[in-house]
Amino acid sequence: MNVQFKKGVLEMCVLVLTAKKDRYGYELVNKISEKFLIAEGTVYPLLRRLTQEGYFSTYLAESTEGPPRKYYRLTARGREYMNQLVAEWSTFSTGVDQIILEGISDDQR
Amino acid sequence: MTRDEFLWELEQLLKDLPEIERQDILMDYKEHFYNALESGKDDEEIIRSLGSPKVIAKELKANYHIHRAQTQASVRSVGRAIIATLSLGLFNLLLVAGPAIGIVAVLLGLYATTLALLAAPFGLLVGYLWTDHGFELLDVVFPMMAIGGLGVMMAVGMIYLTRWVGRLFVSYLRFNLKMIRG
Repeated sequence: MNVQFKKGVLEMCVLVLTAKKDRYGYELVNKISEKFLIAEGTVYPLLRRLTQEGYFSTYLAESTEGPPRKYYRLTARGREYMNQLVAEWSTFSTGVDQIILEGISDDQR
Repeated sequence: MTRDEFLWELEQLLKDLPEIERQDILMDYKEHFYNALESGKDDEEIIRSLGSPKVIAKELKANYHIHRAQTQASVRSVGRAIIATLSLGLFNLLLVAGPAIGIVAVLLGLYATTLALLAAPFGLLVGYLWTDHGFELLDVVFPMMAIGGLGVMMAVGMIYLTRWVGRLFVSYLRFNLKMIRG
């Protein structure tokens, strides 16, 4: 996928994925890479930055097997920021979709 | 590359980060390896999808130095933040180095002016004492006070201006980091 498309979208994706429930790093990486190709390693720096900026809080929880997992929880600030990003994205993607639709239907006439 | 080689390389690349931060980062990647192995992937596959440790380290270092420059702005911390952001790519040379050089040049110019204003009164005094001109002493004292006062005010102003510009530039670095992230 075009690298230009991914700018900013990755940030929104991890925020949205934690909106309903807390998630651990691998879960987030996996959910996203199921949908589109990313350099999975760069999700962790992103998670660190969002935590630093107060959009996430983290805690360790024991898993049934293996070492404890670091979970990410969306803070109130994070939720606010996510809503803002999602609203901007909707306006943007609707606009782009319309342009594509109009352009391609003109083409076929 | 094996899991241990990957982690070792990442650790080496993060040498200039504090120990606690570095260990915390390595924990994240160890956790990732553990979970990915559990789900049936092998080392090679995991490392390929993680991407290059160099890219990861650059991103982490840029984040760290920018955050540091924001919490404690100093010439050193802002400088490190600029260098870390520059290392993210050639493209950034234009977007970061250009404005940085411009801003530093303007600040240096203003500092030179400040120094000149602070030095000028002494020049006037020396001129008065060493030459035969026919001025009264007071004719020289008032300009000296005026120019010297201006110099002092400008010096104080420059301290504030430098801090403010530093902070503003760090915000710009943050914005820049967001824009270039792939």
